[in-house]
Amino acid sequence: MTTTNTTSDDAVREYLRAVDLRLGGLPLLQRRELVTDLETHIAAVRADRGAHSEGEVLEILERLGSPDVVAAAAYAEAGPSGAFPLPPPAPGARPYAADTYAAEPYAPAPSRAWVPVAIGLAIVTGLLFIAGVVALMFVARGDAASSVGPVPAPAEPYLPAPPAEPALPDGLVRPGQ
Amino acid sequence: MADVSQLSTGLRRGTLEFCVLALVEHEDRYGTEIVRCFGDERLAASEGTIYPLLSRLRRVGWLDSKWSESPTGPPRRYYSLTAEGRSALQHFRAEWVDFRRTVDRLVGTDHA
Repeated sequence: MTTTNTTSDDAVREYLRAVDLRLGGLPLLQRRELVTDLETHIAAVRADRGAHSEGEVLEILERLGSPDVVAAAAYAEAGPSGAFPLPPPAPGARPYAADTYAAEPYAPAPSRAWVPVAIGLAIVTGLLFIAGVVALMFVARGDAASSVGPVPAPAEPYLPAPPAEPALPDGLVRPGQ
Repeated sequence: MADVSQLSTGLRRGTLEFCVLALVEHEDRYGTEIVRCFGDERLAASEGTIYPLLSRLRRVGWLDSKWSESPTGPPRRYYSLTAEGRSALQHFRAEWVDFRRTVDRLVGTDHA
């Protein structure tokens, strides 16, 4: 029983890994999401049916489709802007079989190396822009303040003038004056 | 035989997604439920290809999803139809009826 479960779990792990390896050209979130969806699907069907034997698990995987087919659907649904399609698997690769997945080397997608750089540039540009706007605001305020200075106060200000300081008796000087 | 499977693949393309929308029109369903339904109906040769479709329908805003506990297995992701998805489905229904009538007339299946 334990041995059977382990074999079944291995088959599931290998299947998920094989799918994941084929999704290198997808946005990371989509890639993770699909693997999670498949993992959840397999676990749900196994729980519903009490499917633990290797044969039952392989049947679930068979119904899901080969990793190539599932990955191809993922690229097709990602749309032209969402994915950087990887070249198809080498011709002569063995068709769906639980023991073929682990042999696949992990191929990181080189075409996406620009993404972090682009994001970094975008962030720096954004920060510079904000800094510029803030600086401009300060300059504008400074200009406004200095240009208001010499202008005579309007005859009837909107706000009441601050209360006048009481007149000091002659001869007394306010501290600090 | 490759031509036959290509034909049905081509026919499914563009219509399958509306079958998904219709499936969750009146009640929310979880991923495995939707996927199994398409497998049983032979609408999807490989059930695993439905998950990328669900993902796209969510990204375009026609479906919404939320995780919920399950009494028997792992948490389930329930899908529901958004207002945009509902109007897309209505639009498809009108288009589909016209399209089907025209094709039936042209290929001689209108009394089949």
